[in-house]
Amino acid sequence: MAVERAGYTVTMFVVDVSKSMGATRTVELPPGPNGEQRFAEMTHLQYALQYVKFKIQDMIYNGRKTDQCGVITFGTEETDNQINTQHGGYESVTEYIPIGTPSAATLRKLDELEPSEVFGDPIDAMIVAVEAQNKHLGNKKTWTRKVFLVTDGEGPIELEDWEATAKKLNELNIALTVVGVDFDDEESGYAQVNKPEFKRVNENFLRTQFCEAVNDSVIGNLDEALQNVSQPDVKTPRSTLMQNVLRIGDVDTRTDEAMEILIKTCKCTSINRPKSFKKFAIRPKTTREEELEQQSMDVDDEKEVTITYAQLKARTEYYVDKSDKKDEEEEEKVKTEEDEETRLEDMEKVEKEELIRGFKYGTSYVPCPEGQFPKLPTKKGIDLIGFIPEKKFRREYSMGEVQYIWGNPDNPTAQCAISSIVQAMYEKGVLAVGRWVTGDGRDPKMGVMSPALFEKVHCLLWVPMPFADDLRKYTFPSLNELRNKKGEIVTEHPYLPTETQLEAMDDFVDAMDLMEAGRDENDNRVEWLDTRDSYNPSFHRLKQAMFHCAVVADLDTNPLPPPHPDLLRYFEPPRKIVKKARGTIDNCIKTFNIKHGNIKLSFGSFIPLFTFALIVPKVVKATRKDGHNHANDDDDEMLLLDRQPSTSKQSHSASQAKIVQKPAGNDSETEDDDDDGEMLIDKAEPVKRPNPLPTPARSLPSLSQTDQDGDESMDVDPQRDPDRLIGRTDPLGDFRSNLERGDVVTKVVEDMSAVIQEVVLAPFASRRSKEMMDCLTELREVCLKEDEIDAWNTFLPEFKRKCIESSPGNKEFWSRVQKVGRSLSLISDKEAKKNGGTSTVSESQALEFLD
Amino acid sequence: MAPYDDWNRVDDDEEDELQDNSFYDAKRDVILFCIDCSPSMLELRPDPEDESKMTSHLYAALDSAMNLQKRKVITGPNDSFGILLFNTTRRLDKSRTQGSEIKKSMFLYQPIGPLSAPVIQELIQLLHSAQEDPEELRKQFPPTESRVAMGDVFTSCNWVIRDGAPKTATKRVFLITDEDNPHPSSKQLKISAQTTLEDLAQAGVVVEPFFIQTETKPFDVAKFYSSILQTNAFVDDDDSDPSVLSESISISRIEDLLSQMRFREVTKRALFNIPFELAKDFTIGVKGYGLVTEQKKGEYKYFVDLGDRLEVAIVKTGQLDEDRQTEIDKSNIVYGMEVVGAAAPSNDDDTEADSMAAIKVVKAGQRPFYNAEEMRSFRTLGLEPGLKLLGFKPRDTLKFEDNVKHSLFIYPEESSYAGSKRTFTALLKSMIKKKVIGYARGVLRRNSTPTIYAILLQEEDVNEVDPTGFHIIPLPFADDIRSAPIEEGYIASDDLKDKARAWINKTTIKSGYVPDSYPNPALAFHYAQLEASAFREEFNPDAFEDLTEPRVDLIHAKAGKLLKEWKIELANDHSATMVVPVTGSKRKAGGAAESISVVEVKARFEDGSLAKFKVDQLKAFCRSQNLSTSGNKSDLIQRVEDWCKLH
Repeated sequence: MAVERAGYTVTMFVVDVSKSMGATRTVELPPGPNGEQRFAEMTHLQYALQYVKFKIQDMIYNGRKTDQCGVITFGTEETDNQINTQHGGYESVTEYIPIGTPSAATLRKLDELEPSEVFGDPIDAMIVAVEAQNKHLGNKKTWTRKVFLVTDGEGPIELEDWEATAKKLNELNIALTVVGVDFDDEESGYAQVNKPEFKRVNENFLRTQFCEAVNDSVIGNLDEALQNVSQPDVKTPRSTLMQNVLRIGDVDTRTDEAMEILIKTCKCTSINRPKSFKKFAIRPKTTREEELEQQSMDVDDEKEVTITYAQLKARTEYYVDKSDKKDEEEEEKVKTEEDEETRLEDMEKVEKEELIRGFKYGTSYVPCPEGQFPKLPTKKGIDLIGFIPEKKFRREYSMGEVQYIWGNPDNPTAQCAISSIVQAMYEKGVLAVGRWVTGDGRDPKMGVMSPALFEKVHCLLWVPMPFADDLRKYTFPSLNELRNKKGEIVTEHPYLPTETQLEAMDDFVDAMDLMEAGRDENDNRVEWLDTRDSYNPSFHRLKQAMFHCAVVADLDTNPLPPPHPDLLRYFEPPRKIVKKARGTIDNCIKTFNIKHGNIKLSFGSFIPLFTFALIVPKVVKATRKDGHNHANDDDDEMLLLDRQPSTSKQSHSASQAKIVQKPAGNDSETEDDDDDGEMLIDKAEPVKRPNPLPTPARSLPSLSQTDQDGDESMDVDPQRDPDRLIGRTDPLGDFRSNLERGDVVTKVVEDMSAVIQEVVLAPFASRRSKEMMDCLTELREVCLKEDEIDAWNTFLPEFKRKCIESSPGNKEFWSRVQKVGRSLSLISDKEAKKNGGTSTVSESQALEFLD
Repeated sequence: MAPYDDWNRVDDDEEDELQDNSFYDAKRDVILFCIDCSPSMLELRPDPEDESKMTSHLYAALDSAMNLQKRKVITGPNDSFGILLFNTTRRLDKSRTQGSEIKKSMFLYQPIGPLSAPVIQELIQLLHSAQEDPEELRKQFPPTESRVAMGDVFTSCNWVIRDGAPKTATKRVFLITDEDNPHPSSKQLKISAQTTLEDLAQAGVVVEPFFIQTETKPFDVAKFYSSILQTNAFVDDDDSDPSVLSESISISRIEDLLSQMRFREVTKRALFNIPFELAKDFTIGVKGYGLVTEQKKGEYKYFVDLGDRLEVAIVKTGQLDEDRQTEIDKSNIVYGMEVVGAAAPSNDDDTEADSMAAIKVVKAGQRPFYNAEEMRSFRTLGLEPGLKLLGFKPRDTLKFEDNVKHSLFIYPEESSYAGSKRTFTALLKSMIKKKVIGYARGVLRRNSTPTIYAILLQEEDVNEVDPTGFHIIPLPFADDIRSAPIEEGYIASDDLKDKARAWINKTTIKSGYVPDSYPNPALAFHYAQLEASAFREEFNPDAFEDLTEPRVDLIHAKAGKLLKEWKIELANDHSATMVVPVTGSKRKAGGAAESISVVEVKARFEDGSLAKFKVDQLKAFCRSQNLSTSGNKSDLIQRVEDWCKLH
């Protein structure tokens, strides 16, 4: 991947606000709290602005001053642009937001955009944009120039002289992206129905003439573009090279025998943390404000009640207990958190200026006004301590981020010196031990260096090692050797595995081998699990959440869509492996016979799950029980409080979308699997939650539920379990869209099977019978074509059994399956062969199965 | 926050943002040293470190206690200590206040309490005078005629701890004795020892024995202690099996006492206790510990000078609405993107004319921000704490560079899943046999990020230093991996490599990297100054020894000549002498013409004609020597001159 120079870019957004952009459209939202489908009605403009805001939010997020943008609108009722002022023409084009580094204010300004009653010309607007960009950049030739045109293509385009504009774009090396509302898209096969003829002409012009003429151009459909922005995107910043020196021996007095190698160091791994969110709270209204509000309401009925959220700032205060300490000493020892709170009240607040810095030495205090003692005098450089055999290297000691160490790239001697050491180390199988000081007077760090031989360059990799102080030497009883009271070695004990158990485990470890569990693009078996493909799920999810709330106005009516499936890639072992290992797993379950104790882990409590030697067991149980009951109560309350998402009043503001609640059937539909009898048996402990906020219950996670894999899960989207790609709301849609991705077939098939079963066995399933039959048909077809035959043949008998034998089951549904007959039965060997797969089911078995 | 608290934290602040840490602060350690003063403990014997001096077991025990206290006073300033001596006729002097009477033949040298400089200094003084006069300890603590009943010793421990220790603390007794059979003839006394020990256990006190044995006086645990310490086992760890003997320590070399105490110095605290799912319906319980964690200097605290004493200021941090100066309760905080300072002019908020805080005004019913629970679900992706096995791969799939954070250690936990230990052990054995490592996805705590871990097994060590179990190593995500910025460079010739190998051969440390050899010098330097300051002594920085510095004398003695040969070969290497820009560096074309060799530079320096070089040439030279390239030509020449003077 070529590393583009980050920043140093001016992006012009050319946004169509013509009359036609005011047409409304229905946009699908993530399912509601009870799985009902939800849609928002918004204008083309609002929808298109989401894309622009995402792009701008990305710039804000990265926080580069040199990442600038400007917004030009066309189809505006007024005209306000430089070219018009100077030369006239270019009507209905407005320089809406001047070029600058975007901020939250930029986003807010975009929210104020409204569709107009007129039309404007996109080519005119582009010329204005390019002119403004060029003027802004002046002679800064190295900056990247980008133009984004967002339009529905329904306004008239002046087709005269467009070639000159395209030429200008090429001259200035501008990258053009055209994002069209409801433009046809060959790749996704989207074609707008009833497309007006003039739009077809416009679209055609933009695609086949204008974009063809611009060297660096892309044209696409808005839906696709919006999907692409939620794709996790790994930004690998270039590591900065820091200069340092590698010292071997005594370089001060024995120079001819000692060596100083000029080196550069830089990061090889570095934890990428998500940007932190800001904290807010609702600001209560003062009496005066309420009065004012009341007054204005009286005057103007349309006036809406507003809520103010204030951004919070951390404040640190210092208190001191000036009372005589003697009598308090005893109590202080057993103080708890609450005591602390009440104690604060008796204390006196002190200003920071009055305080003295110092350290505690037991109960005595050592003042140290500087905040630290003189530091250990150290000299910048990496001192070589010696070499250690690679075999003696203890991987678990590696305690931090890895660094590259290079010979100075401008100094061949340094490079040769490093290269000779690296090669010799590699040959001998040793690692180097070093002591690294990043600058004079900085604290030293110990670490080991490993030789790294790239094709054309040699370097060392450094990882920090613990000092003596960093190791905790806890003792643990031996697992292999148990002794009885007499001090004799015990050979049989419930803690010790038997021969049979050891064999079962050996088989399990073999079966769960990952070396051939993955597939590459050419369908060859390859190793599964690669750190280079693993996105940090929290990082990207939090980023997605941050972008989402920057772009939408209300999280209740426009909740965060589910995480991108790529984030969940390594959440479960590969299904094929697990399927193949099923026998050995069952054997292990039987042989090891693990009994789940009655003490369930109380995840609900905020106290971490420490178990202390000194807590009397009885007390522990009592608290846990309490916690549990409490949590249950909360849940009951939750259900009562559960409200439909507020369908707030329609507003005139942009970015405010009206929610259309599709009839979700009667309330019975809202009963989901949580209430399924089977699920209740191993229902996980409910999670204790803080008091509900004065916001609708949509924000609250579903009750703990147990999905097919027995995982306790919790998510803001109850209809789609967090580790599933397919939700219960629109399984077929999810199924199809995920299949297009190609690389998740196994997972999709697995999830689909699970969802079908859940829906069919849930109460009031008959309403969805037809849909489920479609799902089954399509699932079978995919299984047959995509070599998931075993998955189908395993699923179907199980499904049959559940339908017929379980209670309540769904015999009616099964009879529908039987009516369809052979084409929904097991996949036979004959059928499989035709499609290049294999099956252990014979044709006659397949025929008999549905009888 | 004191470093002591850091030990208990797995993750960085951000991950713990919503976590309540007050729990840790409430936990304190209490250690009561309970030391035998019998004649054999007082018996003078040659000091193993210094043959000319005489020492005793009691001296060694007190010395170890003092050293431990000196460490703990810094790392855990809230912890309490006490020293109880038994088998001595010394009685309590009136001056000390004490809650309860203790049994006869026992002397509470240091009542349980938080440490302070004077308390430690008192002990140091006692040890000093014992060094001057080896009989000092016998004078101070004259031994009793006959041994006191161990039952009385345990009862006294119980009383002392009850009086002095906070209820919530972890309480331990370090029992130091060299008598393996205190009551050979009395069954009665043995039973009473057992019952009093049970009482102690009921009170939540763990007894950690340190048994001293010598060649002439071996220590047979089976004679007395193995049966009575049994009862103590069930509080040791909630999953310990009473039928298996708790670990007891017999020390054959008295010098080892301190290092043995170090092992137990810190209460073993689990960071998490979570299920480990090997496969569906195949789950065991594991506890996690941090065995490798960076130990930092404690941060300074703020004090207020009250005239007669210094008092720690309590720091309270709250979230504030600046305009209203009101503090917001944690449960009402919501999270979102930063908003801009002043509200847009379209909003008629005349009341906010001089607003300091950024605000966001929304219509009633709209919710622009996330609540804490949603934030948590974004962070964890809805996963509950637990590990889930993904599969196995050969050991070499875990690369050196696949690292971002320290590892954690997991050990089976029976109480929630009976059968965890045998399953865990079987897994460990299979993995040893098949030479594989495991991979797992894990969320270790309620608010932490799902992470992929490599599971590395720890085989049982012959020295029993390393516990058996698994290390789990957090792997970097694609987002954390940086590509190599340098793609090309000079490669050394085989001759040069062989010359390097020659000196590498001589400087290899066979034992590998042993952390114990490298105490953190910055930390020790800080502690030494803190201690000197607390004791009101002068700190002498010259006396400080940094053990992490390379042993250059040894390097030169063993490999000096070989290093010299390598250096000569390097200097002769034709590719190495020129200062040539490397391809790929962002220099302008024609850079090669600007390259100058070190020899040229030195020659020009000698005849004072450095100014004849072009600026680009000087810059290229500076860059190759890690020198700054800023400034004008005279700055560059100055810099090159300075360099020439040094080289």
